[in-house]
Amino acid sequence: MRAAFSSAIVNLAKNDPQVLLLTGDHGYALFDDFRKACPQQYINAGIAEQNMVGMAAGLAKAGFRPIVYGLSAFVPIRVLEQIKLDVAHDHLPVIFIGDGAGFVYSHLGTSHQSTEDIACARVIPNLSVYSPADAHELTACMQAAYQSHSAVYIRMGKSDRDVVHTAPLSPQTGDLLAIKQTPHSTLAFIATGSLSSTALALANTQYPNASVWSAPFIKPINTNQVIEICKQHQQIVTLEEHSIFGGLGSTIAEISSEHSPSHILRIGVEDRFSTHCGSYEYLLKEHGLDSSAIIQKMDRFLAQK
Amino acid sequence: MTNPSKSFHTPDLRKTVLDMAYAGSAVHIGCAFSIIEILAVLYRSHLRYPDNNPNSALRDYLILSKGHGVMAQYACMKDLGWLSQNAFDNYFADESHLKGLSDSRIPGLEVTSGSLGHGFSVGVGVALAAKLKKTDQKVFVVVGDGEINEGPIWEGALFAAHHQLNNFMMIVDENGFQAMGPTKDILDLASIEKKFTSFGFDAISVDGHDEAALDAAIQTLMQRNFHQPKALIAKTIKGKGVPFMENNNAWHYTRLNASSYEDAIAALNKDSK
Repeated sequence: MRAAFSSAIVNLAKNDPQVLLLTGDHGYALFDDFRKACPQQYINAGIAEQNMVGMAAGLAKAGFRPIVYGLSAFVPIRVLEQIKLDVAHDHLPVIFIGDGAGFVYSHLGTSHQSTEDIACARVIPNLSVYSPADAHELTACMQAAYQSHSAVYIRMGKSDRDVVHTAPLSPQTGDLLAIKQTPHSTLAFIATGSLSSTALALANTQYPNASVWSAPFIKPINTNQVIEICKQHQQIVTLEEHSIFGGLGSTIAEISSEHSPSHILRIGVEDRFSTHCGSYEYLLKEHGLDSSAIIQKMDRFLAQK
Repeated sequence: MTNPSKSFHTPDLRKTVLDMAYAGSAVHIGCAFSIIEILAVLYRSHLRYPDNNPNSALRDYLILSKGHGVMAQYACMKDLGWLSQNAFDNYFADESHLKGLSDSRIPGLEVTSGSLGHGFSVGVGVALAAKLKKTDQKVFVVVGDGEINEGPIWEGALFAAHHQLNNFMMIVDENGFQAMGPTKDILDLASIEKKFTSFGFDAISVDGHDEAALDAAIQTLMQRNFHQPKALIAKTIKGKGVPFMENNNAWHYTRLNASSYEDAIAALNKDSK
């Protein structure tokens, strides 16, 4: 996914000299290709994220197309007010990349872990929120963000999980992407980011009656498609490496509650910070997001009906 | 002169502020009065708006980062013909476009401010854009002395100096007060000029109510045009122009009544004779 990101920004910048990459002194080797290909379009704004986002607004006002890169713990969380007032309020076309979302920085603790970013970004008017699961989704999200000419937050989580698509995509913005379609399925997984591959693996091994959708677009989201999925399934399980408050699960539950009330289990981070550090897999386990913990939660949920 | 047909006569600008503050029962009169001369000089002699168009892509930028002084900018924009008398008479009426703090949706207002420390960084971005596009556009950002408590100001100062944005000028309205009292009692700034000089700015201090001195200082900074961003530290008086408001921080919050409105107008009339 990181290679796809690097080539996406290089392509955008080569084709449009107005594209500028701003980083808050993060990225390191990730930007080697960009700096070689488009050195004039690369700006290291220093460890000064608030100023970086305000500047991005000023650059966009003057016709540039800034891509603002940071760790998702900082962009959007630390700079939420700058995104709201300086960028989103003025409908400015700035793309925000929040890298390392979820528990990628599993050894570094709470400051670098990010499980509230979708919730915070979702509520800002004029700001879209994308959450790609693999390289194909990332490429499609970058293209959609650039073409939208508006403010977009793209969440990049764990980048080396199994791919969920086998070929390049050209989705309509907002579409949920079916990654496993089972005829007459009664259970629907809707997952985003790193946990899309988990959902697919669970459906393939444990839940033969399940279909699986990956949701690279949290906002906007294709409401009619969500309603159809809710109508066609007895039970819905959402999966995300993000708080169960305000993220994908909340989005699905909000739509369902108004249009097609469904039995929904939201699996995600349950309103807590990490206690310990360890490997990424360990952190998923601590938060009950490893396969066996998910299966336990699902068994309790499925038994309710 | 950039806008020779417009007078930006400062007693009239203050009267406009009083009229709208009285009409809307608005606060922040003192914040507006301290920047009247600064804005008058900028609009009269330094800001270029091709075809008098506040949205011109070639315009210079005046960014009011201290949005609390927005009534002073409204008054200038009235002189430019960008706002109707109706907008002033109905200030704060339901469905009023003009708000109590700067809103970028009003042509002529570049940023949505009020949350402090934002306009400075946006201005740095616009100045960087002008450099990248090789235009001769200038960016003036008006900040309050209280406002520079905010961290992004100093982040942006580092960036502007490092990137030699000499098309960027910060003007500090150093009126010595912030919302809850004197700046020196809350977070003492000591010498603002020295602070910005040490950050790599070309800085000058000036009497912020002396129009000739302000004009000369801005011209000096523009003409010597070092490879540095510019800082003009304008020493001002909060509430300037109405004696009972001057250096009285209550006029950050106090609303006019019929009596205080008449007294304030009388003081202005006396002053302008």
